[in-house]
Amino acid sequence: MENISGKEVDAADSDARLSEKELTLSMGPQHPATHGVLRLVLDLSGETIVKCTPYVGYLHRGVEKLAENRNYMQIIPLTDRLDYIASMANNIGYCVAVEKLFGIKVPERTEYIRTIVGEMARITNHLLWLATHALDIGAMTVFLYCFREREKILDLFERLCGARLTVSYPRIGGLKNDVDDQWLEDLYKFTEEFPGRVEQYETLIDKNRIWLRRTKGVGVISAEDAINWGLSGPALRGSGVSYDIRKISSYGVYDKVKWQVCIGKNGDIYDRYRVRMDEFRESNSIIRQCIEKIPKGPIMADAPKFTLPAKDKVLSDMEHLIHHFVLITKGPQTAPEGELYVATEVPKGELGFFFVSDGTGRPYRMRIRSPSFVHISALPAICEGELVADVIANIGSIDIVLGECDR
Amino acid sequence: MPEWLWIFIKVFIVVNVLMLHVAYVVYFERKVIGHMQARLGPMRVGWHGLLQPIADGIKLFFKEDIIPSNADKPIFYIAPIIGLLAAIGSLAVIPMWEGFSIADINIGILYILALSSVGSYSVILAGWASNSKYSFLGGLRSSAQVISYEIAMGLSLVGVMMMAGSANLSDIVRAQSEQWFLLPQIVAFFVFLMAALAETNRAPFDLPEAETELVAGYATEYSGIRFGLFFMAEYAGMFVMSALAVICFLGGWSGPDFWIFARVPGIVWFLLKVYAFIFFYFWVRATLPRYRYDQLMGLGWKLFIPLALANIIFTGLIKLL
Amino acid sequence: MTANEFIKKVFFIEILKGLALTLRHFFTPSVTRQYPTEKREPFPGSRGLHALVRDPETGREKCVGCGLCAAMCPSQCIHIYTSEDDDHKKVVDRYEVEVLRCVYCAFCVEACPYGAIVLTDHFEYSGYSREELYYTKDRLLHNWDKYMANSKGREYLEKFWRPKSEDFGVPAAGHHQAEGKKAT
Repeated sequence: MENISGKEVDAADSDARLSEKELTLSMGPQHPATHGVLRLVLDLSGETIVKCTPYVGYLHRGVEKLAENRNYMQIIPLTDRLDYIASMANNIGYCVAVEKLFGIKVPERTEYIRTIVGEMARITNHLLWLATHALDIGAMTVFLYCFREREKILDLFERLCGARLTVSYPRIGGLKNDVDDQWLEDLYKFTEEFPGRVEQYETLIDKNRIWLRRTKGVGVISAEDAINWGLSGPALRGSGVSYDIRKISSYGVYDKVKWQVCIGKNGDIYDRYRVRMDEFRESNSIIRQCIEKIPKGPIMADAPKFTLPAKDKVLSDMEHLIHHFVLITKGPQTAPEGELYVATEVPKGELGFFFVSDGTGRPYRMRIRSPSFVHISALPAICEGELVADVIANIGSIDIVLGECDR
Repeated sequence: MPEWLWIFIKVFIVVNVLMLHVAYVVYFERKVIGHMQARLGPMRVGWHGLLQPIADGIKLFFKEDIIPSNADKPIFYIAPIIGLLAAIGSLAVIPMWEGFSIADINIGILYILALSSVGSYSVILAGWASNSKYSFLGGLRSSAQVISYEIAMGLSLVGVMMMAGSANLSDIVRAQSEQWFLLPQIVAFFVFLMAALAETNRAPFDLPEAETELVAGYATEYSGIRFGLFFMAEYAGMFVMSALAVICFLGGWSGPDFWIFARVPGIVWFLLKVYAFIFFYFWVRATLPRYRYDQLMGLGWKLFIPLALANIIFTGLIKLL
Repeated sequence: MTANEFIKKVFFIEILKGLALTLRHFFTPSVTRQYPTEKREPFPGSRGLHALVRDPETGREKCVGCGLCAAMCPSQCIHIYTSEDDDHKKVVDRYEVEVLRCVYCAFCVEACPYGAIVLTDHFEYSGYSREELYYTKDRLLHNWDKYMANSKGREYLEKFWRPKSEDFGVPAAGHHQAEGKKAT
């Protein structure tokens, strides 16, 4: 805004121009550390933030509107592209919500597999979060080490469903395909070595004095504020609020395995970091327990009005052929009318799907409550009064992804 | 041979060797950090990427030189040149082996300190002239950082000068013929090490160009060979600081005095030590996060300067006794 | 601060540990791959470029042009044009995939009742123009010959053309009989 080299200052009004004014710094949408296309307009006094205004919407693709023109099954690939770092978790969240709308109960094996892949998604998400967060604070080696492990999980995803990032694996009432025993065994091997890898990351940063000074006491969110702002996930738990939808909701098999909600105490960046590091271990242990307990059985729910019929029956059985054609061209025709909100715990927090159904094969309205959007709204309050370097650390610590925020 | 011609030849050799060194130290850094991060580093150009620095140099040379329309052009042009000249100029007083330095002057340490301050002008001026806010903040950070750490560095070297009784770098090396100053001046060495990291803008004190905060700091608006000049200045500065550390604390060109080691020429020992130092720079960069601006200032003023002062008093007391 | 903590602080124990870790990695082999020269086989079922299944009996495409894949495609990148031949049978004149629009969800595979379209595991393709990545029927059939030849295509359909009866608990055919549904 002002010419900082002060070229156009002439002698006559130089006194008037000497008045103090904040420096307006536009950080983003193209910036190495804004995790996508977040734009922050910072008013700086020296390096201290006086005012921070986030601008979102650079990645708006109209997912909610697109969903109104797609049948329920076709929306699954759209949910991949919300939080593309942990697309598996979004798929599951969406399918759980739609199944609740339709009143479908999925088989137990499916619940187990969904829990396993959901926790794998949590690990991939937290790995990427740790990688970029540490890189933002300057520890660039953690970045590469995290990607080393993330690669292994993505390989497992590729073996499972053919895609690494935009998986589209769960289906309404089931899954794309079953897992095989070799896959489970390889995953189990991964979970054996993974805690050692987490220790490596901790060796580099956990007790490092520079890391501690950059994170402790910075970006503090009190428990009360966190609740009032509607934060969820690790950002809320870091402030010491024990709230995890996996504990209170009935999806997955979280009630059948032993695990605990990881919480912090002070609500600063370090505590949020600790919560996620602990979640690595909890997720790892959930996956192990699920692999040990997983039962044999079907993976598709017995709900012919809503799930695609078996391929081997389609051409031999008229009933199935009709279901197949109707489900694909028009979507399920017996969806109940009404409104429904279902939330699941994705790695970043509470991902909610709100449906207004008019009984047709397409949602009349689908609203996505994405954690990133809510978290960004808390960013100005956390950042004001802190330094430019802390803004970067704060953005990292609340773990946003703009695909989900802008939808 | 006239004296001036001999000096000219020496300058020619040193500058050219340094330029080649800068190119390959970048390669060295990419390889070292790459392997530390469980990857390979450059592998494509030449055997194990050995020609990569040359390809990079050619690329930088032929890239479009973009100058922001609102930049203060003369200063914008001159800033990277100041940086490189200051870094190369420092080499004049560095004794590579017994009797070899371009200018064997009595105030060698002061000369290097002075030139490294001049070098910081290039960063400040670049930040100012770019007329970009990120560059500006980078320039501001750099000026504050250089001022604070210059003092700590200067004070840490006072102990060495007291021990050697001279500010002539060759004399300092000769004074270490019996014992390196590393152990008696361990505190000064530590302060110097940190100050050298800060002075050359290396991690964990790379705030002026902190990529994730200020994009590229003072170099944000620079492109092509002008950016390349900053790059060269940074790596040449690293060489100078490592050489200074080797001369002041690690006995310069002296090596072990037995068996075949005694026959190895001094330059080899000197370069070995310097490269060990440079390796340490990379190693630290691969491991540590970055300090915050105010913490860096606090560290400089509240820890390093008092430590260096205490070291001077301590050294003085020992000398008196 | 205890003596232990003091020592840890003064001697940079935690930083030295970090330095030791990076140094250890310096001497361990790297995990990266030299991509274009050193390739990893994609896993079976990896979702890449499309292919139309060639029927071994007729030597033509298996597709009958029902248009379910086009209806299902979330990004609407499949275009099918059919006509009637002299025997009043439906013929697929054009079957085209705009690969640049595809999101690789493989829903077309699931929608196809005949198992006539598959996603191959070929993922390295590029072009200088849109036309190069506009796949016509012949090119899609060619993809099948090239990437899914021999038993590979059959195995793909066996494993990834889902859901199948074994995925459902109750045999779906018996379901209606059990309910004793009365035909009206």
